[in-house]
Amino acid sequence: MEGAFSYAPAIAAFPLVAFVVALVFGKWMPKKGAIAGIAATGASLVFSLWMLAAVASGETYHETLYEWTAGEAASEIGADTIGFSFGILIDPLAALMLVIVSLVAFLVHVFSLGYMNAEGETGLPRYYAGLGLFTFSMLSFVYADNLLMAFMFFELVGLCSFLLIGFWFRTRSAPSAAKKAFLVTRFGDYFFLLGVVAIAATFGTLQFAGDESFVAAAEAAIDDGGQLFGFDAETWVTITGLLVLGGVIGKSAQFPLHTWLPDAMEGPTTVSALIHAATMVAAGVYLVARMFGYYALSPTTLAIIAFIGGFTALFAATMGVVKDDVKQVLAYSTISQYGYMMLGLGVGGYVAGVFHLMNHAFFKALLFLGAGAVIVLMHHEQNMWKMGGLKDKAPVTYYTFLAGALALAGIIPFSGFWSKDEILYDALIVGLEEPLIMAAYAMGLLAVFFTGFYTFRMVFLTFHGEPRSEAAEDPHPVGWSIKLPLIVLGILAVVAGIANLAPVAKLANVDITFLEHWLDGEYGGIDEVTYSAYSELLAYETGVISSEQVTVLIAAGLSLLLAFSGAGLAWKLYSDPEPTAHKERLGSAGTVVEDNYYQDEYQVWLAEGVTLPLARVADRFDQTVIDGTVNGVSTASLFGSSWVKRIQTGIVTNYAALLIAGFIALLLGLGVYGGWF
Amino acid sequence: MMIEALIAVALIGALVTFVAPNRVAGKLAFAISLVPAAISLWLFATFDGSGNALLEGTLAFESQYEWIQLGEYSISWFVGLDGISLPLVVLTTVLTSLAIMSSWTPIDERESQFYGLVLFIEANLIGVFVALDFFLWFIFWEAVLIPMYLLIGVWGGPRRKYAAIKFFVYTNVASLLMFGAFIALVFGLGDAVTSFALPEVADAMVNGEGIQQTLFGLEPTTLASLVFVAMFIGFAVKVPVVPFHTWLPDAHVEAPTPASVLLAGVLLKMGTYALLRFNFTMFPEQVETYAIPIAAIAVISVIYGAMLALAQTDLKRIVAYSSVSSMGYVILGLIAYTQFGVGGATFQMVSHGLISGLMFMAVGVIYNATHTRLVTDMSGMADRMPVAVGILIAGAFGYMGLPLMSGFAAEYFIFFGAFGADFDYAPIFTGLAMFGIVLVAGYLLFALQRAVFGPYSLETDYEVSRAPLHDLAPMFVLLGLIIALGVAPDLIFDMITDAVDPILEGGDS
Amino acid sequence: MIGVEYYVLLSMAVFCIGLVGVLTRRNALTFLMSVELMLNAANINLIAFAFYHGNLTGQVFALFTMALAAAEVAVGLGIILVLYRNFRDVDVTVPTTMRW
Repeated sequence: MEGAFSYAPAIAAFPLVAFVVALVFGKWMPKKGAIAGIAATGASLVFSLWMLAAVASGETYHETLYEWTAGEAASEIGADTIGFSFGILIDPLAALMLVIVSLVAFLVHVFSLGYMNAEGETGLPRYYAGLGLFTFSMLSFVYADNLLMAFMFFELVGLCSFLLIGFWFRTRSAPSAAKKAFLVTRFGDYFFLLGVVAIAATFGTLQFAGDESFVAAAEAAIDDGGQLFGFDAETWVTITGLLVLGGVIGKSAQFPLHTWLPDAMEGPTTVSALIHAATMVAAGVYLVARMFGYYALSPTTLAIIAFIGGFTALFAATMGVVKDDVKQVLAYSTISQYGYMMLGLGVGGYVAGVFHLMNHAFFKALLFLGAGAVIVLMHHEQNMWKMGGLKDKAPVTYYTFLAGALALAGIIPFSGFWSKDEILYDALIVGLEEPLIMAAYAMGLLAVFFTGFYTFRMVFLTFHGEPRSEAAEDPHPVGWSIKLPLIVLGILAVVAGIANLAPVAKLANVDITFLEHWLDGEYGGIDEVTYSAYSELLAYETGVISSEQVTVLIAAGLSLLLAFSGAGLAWKLYSDPEPTAHKERLGSAGTVVEDNYYQDEYQVWLAEGVTLPLARVADRFDQTVIDGTVNGVSTASLFGSSWVKRIQTGIVTNYAALLIAGFIALLLGLGVYGGWF
Repeated sequence: MMIEALIAVALIGALVTFVAPNRVAGKLAFAISLVPAAISLWLFATFDGSGNALLEGTLAFESQYEWIQLGEYSISWFVGLDGISLPLVVLTTVLTSLAIMSSWTPIDERESQFYGLVLFIEANLIGVFVALDFFLWFIFWEAVLIPMYLLIGVWGGPRRKYAAIKFFVYTNVASLLMFGAFIALVFGLGDAVTSFALPEVADAMVNGEGIQQTLFGLEPTTLASLVFVAMFIGFAVKVPVVPFHTWLPDAHVEAPTPASVLLAGVLLKMGTYALLRFNFTMFPEQVETYAIPIAAIAVISVIYGAMLALAQTDLKRIVAYSSVSSMGYVILGLIAYTQFGVGGATFQMVSHGLISGLMFMAVGVIYNATHTRLVTDMSGMADRMPVAVGILIAGAFGYMGLPLMSGFAAEYFIFFGAFGADFDYAPIFTGLAMFGIVLVAGYLLFALQRAVFGPYSLETDYEVSRAPLHDLAPMFVLLGLIIALGVAPDLIFDMITDAVDPILEGGDS
Repeated sequence: MIGVEYYVLLSMAVFCIGLVGVLTRRNALTFLMSVELMLNAANINLIAFAFYHGNLTGQVFALFTMALAAAEVAVGLGIILVLYRNFRDVDVTVPTTMRW
């Protein structure tokens, strides 16, 4: 396995080549570039698995490949020179994520054959080029070895989302959604870039791992107890950590920058699957995991992450309850699920957060692709109230979708249960000591109920009951390219939980927490970026209710109970052959929730009601005051000259007289000042 | 002698083009302009200078001849290149060639005069960047105005006369201020200098005693501050810096596309280049004293320029105001006075030249087809002109500072350099200026959404067809350069920092 | 021997006559003659001082002035002719269109 890592750059290079090929030659290729994309992501997947195997055999890789630029810069602490470079860091976390990303990208490419090509879309080379660039950016981001490189590809991921969400640019809504997605995440990235700049200026390095990493430098600075930019070292680490977190909140659609994500459903469903499961939205949470050591240094930041996560989980879940569009429900569930991951990471549950990231990638890709299959079945109808009864007509879609739904709802023993339960357990034990975290835990727990409800509301409305439209009675058949990815992901959604059966391990006292060992570098890893290294940095106290086993049972029991009651309520309300909406029961609260708590309204108001008028005022000010001054100067001089020029009568006698007068005045002046008189 | 050849080819080419028949003028001028482009690329390849031209650096391709003896001061033909001026010379020659090609479609009257003037402006622009004697430099500096005045005034839009005169008078008055300030500086230095050669003046200011004479009853320190401020304002008009920016949108909107390309691409850089050469090289003490007000001006330029761009509906006006915003970054980088700050500012000069050139070309290509630039008049242009719009989008993202394009490298260097700058509240100023990256995304995406996306519609009665290849080719070249510099900034950043270092070290190289 | 001050007075008188003529008369011919008077006043001065200082420079200059005056008359008369052709008059206050 020694030489495996020298092929690491190829993982990202394949999709980049596919991007170029699809963009330039796609028009003339069979399947319009899909083949290139499938081949490239397939190759990436194979290479990623190879990397995974190499890490499993005890190797890791951390190498600077290309010096972007270097120069002198006096940093607060650290060297006076700084280099900005592209490098690759493959540790257990990166290797795992590489496999997830390339697997989902590969399946999305395959699915696209059925979803895009077979449906006769135009502009497919552009679509496949976008997918290729997206995969390239995300893979490069995943194994970036420093924060600047991560930022760069983080931004490119944003560009790709813009291009793909706006794929159907001839409509009004898609370009608007694309703009919103880029702009809102850009707002987050502003803080991220400021954080990158601040960290670089403070520590003189941006490396994630190794002795030269900014995490190590920050740890040393906190131990020294010195001042950084006029703050306590720990305060400064908190500030910079929160700045970087701005990018995470934007990309991972956490409150209050989550508003772009539901709109992003304007893009093709395959793109939604890619964005939500493995690329853009995952990038934010992955970044927190990647630099977890830095956040672990600052309990304040972690608590904020946890609280935002818990709040977002509940907040988004309540909004998902009343949506009519199958993709909208999934969109809010994504926001909610990433909230869980943030909660998990925020309470120090590094393994739990990453575990949920992995499981979510599988089941959310599955659900979106399943929704895509439903949309094909339904002749591009997305309103769940027009569906119904698809269960028998499309069994493959139904059973795989059901597997994903069970995982999403957190029903034992599907994958989502294990990771969500671990997050909630971690939150609970910290929450027993810290009231703020307890609040975050409570919100996360409550969200489980809503998750169960909206998930099964979606399942019942879509697949059960009687067909409620012509399309639902006579669904369009789907081909193998749609079914195959669903089956692969369906299996993963069922079994992926095996990776880390933490409750079972704690109760039965058996050593089956493979993912924890994996992330702890027990198969192969880099010392400073392992779970146990992070655990040492964490300042959290944990408590238990009577004993660890009892706590585990209470946490799991509570979340299962709530998940089942949510699902049960959905069954009670919506399992009729002709279900009714029941929205009127929510009263005015329903209106508020349906309008997404007016989050969109206030953000649009900020953009169009504040910034735009302010810009117009600035423009008026510019035209009247500043340019007015400039024009005023010229008007004044023109006006003055219109008076002065009257001296020029054109009569030669007057000129002669003026000449003489001037001469005499000169003589007199000389006489007076020269002392002749 | 290569520098002389560079200028001479452009000048002679201008004369030849003037008398050439209209129908061949465009192709002829393009062929001629390839020669300076080739020469400058050769200069770039064989560049062997080091250090800063003004501060005892080793000049590349230097040549100096005595010219005029003016009282105690000698004036000479003194040209040479260092790591700061060379990239700008290459930018000038390459951009001129591309601008000429991009004007084949829109320019359809008095072609020979048009292309002659473009080549004439090229010669003078090169002169500005290579001249190392103040007198010589000033001749080129002023001579740039005349062809640009004519390009706007003859081939411009409906309000061309107003715009041309505003441009000419505004920048010329500023030159007067700067000229007076420089003469005062030379007299203030007294016996320390015997010529107008910039290296000599810079040396006297930085390594020598500085201003020692009392002039017009002003103490030396007051005089130095006054000279600094007057020069700053003189150059600030050219840059342009808020509040001296109002000539720019008018000039851009009225100018024909190739003139806009040169105006935004190179003419604005004259101002920042001169700021770097004069204010920021010769007055290290004053730079420190005035750091906070200048940083404030930079922040205001960035934010205010972006706000103005947000309020516009004319595509060219949007790009014009965004130039004001981008030039604010350059000022921020300069005032940071760190290697990455000043180096990044110089990098941004080149980068913005390429990106704004690309944007103006792309807007011009769309205008050629639609005969309107108002975003409210069109919708869904991507449907009819996919390649041109694709490039416009790429250029817009370049403007927004998308990583792996040169704009990001420049902005990142500037932000990083400014964050660690020595003056008070530097991180806060940096943070405020950085908000420009959100605003720029806002106004460009808003404009794109309205003009190029959505269902196709057009208010004017023109048949929109795909752009011809010779309109697209220059934009592809620019896009290639932008990406190349974004991926490998060290192509020029190395030589820039080499020339910037002596400035920051106070000339002890 | 007449003192140089008398020549100066004479030349001053002639100059003033010419000046008054230039300032008051409207006929172009008179105008031109008044200019000639002023030139000749200068000539008187030149010759007087040349004699007074005993060198020839002044006299040479007087000769130059005369040649200049002749040339000036030639041009002046030409202008007057054109004036008359265009305005049917030789009044110098009539043509005022060439001022701005």
